[in-house]
Amino acid sequence: MAGGLSFTAVESTKLATAEIYGKTLSALGDENPNVVALTADLAGSTKIGDFKEKHPDRFFNVGIAEQNMYGVAAGMAKCGLIPFASSFSVFASLRALDQVHTDICYQNVNVKIIGTHGGTSFGQAGSTHHAIEDFAVVRGLVNMTLICPADGIETALAVRAAANTPGPFYIRINRGFDNTVYSTSDYGFQVGKAVTMNEGNDVTIIACGSCVYQSMQAAKILENDYNISARVLNMHTIKPLDKEAVLKAVDETRRVVTAEDHTIIGGLGSAVAETIVESGKGCAFKRLGIPDKFSAIGLHEDLLAMHEIDAAGIVKNVLELMKADFEAEAVKKGLDITKLNFGTAEDWTDEV
Amino acid sequence: MANEIKITQDDRYAAGIFFYSALPLLRVIVESEPKFAAKFKGKSFVFQVSAACEGEPGGKMATHFVIEDGVFTVKVGKAHESPDLEFAFPDLRKFAIFFSGKGMPFPKIKGMSKLGYLIPILMTLLRMAALLQATDAPKKESDKELLVKLYFYLLPNGISRLNKMGHPEIKNFTQTSPDRAFAWSVKDKPELNSYIRVKAGNSKAGRGVYKRCKPFLTMNFDNAQHALDILMSKADMIEYIKKGFLFIDGAPEFGAALGNLMMTVAYYAQGQYIEG
Repeated sequence: MAGGLSFTAVESTKLATAEIYGKTLSALGDENPNVVALTADLAGSTKIGDFKEKHPDRFFNVGIAEQNMYGVAAGMAKCGLIPFASSFSVFASLRALDQVHTDICYQNVNVKIIGTHGGTSFGQAGSTHHAIEDFAVVRGLVNMTLICPADGIETALAVRAAANTPGPFYIRINRGFDNTVYSTSDYGFQVGKAVTMNEGNDVTIIACGSCVYQSMQAAKILENDYNISARVLNMHTIKPLDKEAVLKAVDETRRVVTAEDHTIIGGLGSAVAETIVESGKGCAFKRLGIPDKFSAIGLHEDLLAMHEIDAAGIVKNVLELMKADFEAEAVKKGLDITKLNFGTAEDWTDEV
Repeated sequence: MANEIKITQDDRYAAGIFFYSALPLLRVIVESEPKFAAKFKGKSFVFQVSAACEGEPGGKMATHFVIEDGVFTVKVGKAHESPDLEFAFPDLRKFAIFFSGKGMPFPKIKGMSKLGYLIPILMTLLRMAALLQATDAPKKESDKELLVKLYFYLLPNGISRLNKMGHPEIKNFTQTSPDRAFAWSVKDKPELNSYIRVKAGNSKAGRGVYKRCKPFLTMNFDNAQHALDILMSKADMIEYIKKGFLFIDGAPEFGAALGNLMMTVAYYAQGQYIEG
């Protein structure tokens, strides 16, 4: 990897994803004197303390004033700097939206917005701190690239890619530790290119962020318990979307489920749906995410389960989609739908 | 009667753990230690442990072992009509006291004259007691691994048994849980692994590597000694995590919850509820 910094799986299990972002930013600061870091009094929470210590002359705390921060960042970018402006995702995408829209995207300046505590990952903090609409909002902004990495290693790669690519970026990462998805950083990360995590031909699960790991586990359960072959695509870049990978999945698996820690309106699921509909091709389709309501408060893992975007929830929804699709086909062909079996009797006998 | 013991719900929970989780470990010892396997070679008989208990089928709780040419089959929670050898306790309290090591209220032994059956069974039971009731880890590496295996098998079975018996704290945990597996492991020793899967009030204890998917949470120890240090309460878990002796693969909050469930099993298996 250019620049030398590579995070191993061991490091990625010891560090929260935001900490990996902080270390990557610090290393970028070592390599490039134009990299600057901005915070709205959340340097500790967004884990950019390393950068502050090593490059105090390039670290700016604007106070609790996100709108101001993104305006300042836009001005710095106009002067040739590469600002990384970090805040909680909910503040970056909603509170400072006008500045992000007008000062950054309209000017098409080289500002990198890092939204931490994405989705429901700051679950206990309550609905005001959940960022469940940021994809929908940011995806609509002209010139913006939108990335939601699956784990710490992918976060490091996304941050580096953003530094090396001109234009506005919004990278959404989680609050705490993410389950490790990648054991190495040389898997070929490319902005705008989905990564096939698991091959399959019955159904495709397209996911981003923490839902990638959950989808991979779901694919294992589907294979082991139901003999269903599920393709899993890590769609880390939501804009620009890898349409080729989506349409290939439609052609080859005929059924698509999307999974995201975000409202089902306007995010990854919507982007995939638009692509499929505009292609003129049909497929069985389901979006998984937070329904059109504010999330409950709780631990991230429990909220993923509540919204059926954990492994078990994804399995349940894939089975329902498969069943509905098979039933429709069976009715067309005059087959007996009662003979379709999508459930396995679960054995709860303890092993002795 | 003046001396009649009132059997409490705690006695029932403890008995449940011993009948369903601890006694089946006899088979593990026989299968893990060739010298014990040799004691049963060529022998076929039925051995049963029972305790009188009102409300249970036949008036007793029991677990029996069908041994055929030295090969053990465990029938947990089931009484055999005519075992060749039986250790029969007069009540659940005495049974719990005996197996928790809190006292020696010996059972009535039916089939005592069948020394060919009695002696190997007694020796295996003593081996199990020596391992599980030890206060320090064994010296030999193979003994350490066997003891870890016994603990790793006992804990998920104990949790699952308490859940199935309706223990309020554990039932609350499983009822509110989505489909999740919690596992225990020692690095490079998959044969020691165990797990418990829970889902909406159901639970299943299993042995070996959990294969459906990656467990929701795994307590990974770097070696058997460090596993025993924690399991035998000889070391601080946080300190061991800091030192890299224990890696909790999963959300820390759920690691704490799993720790509480393990402590609940220990509360009954060690007879902590028994006064005196």
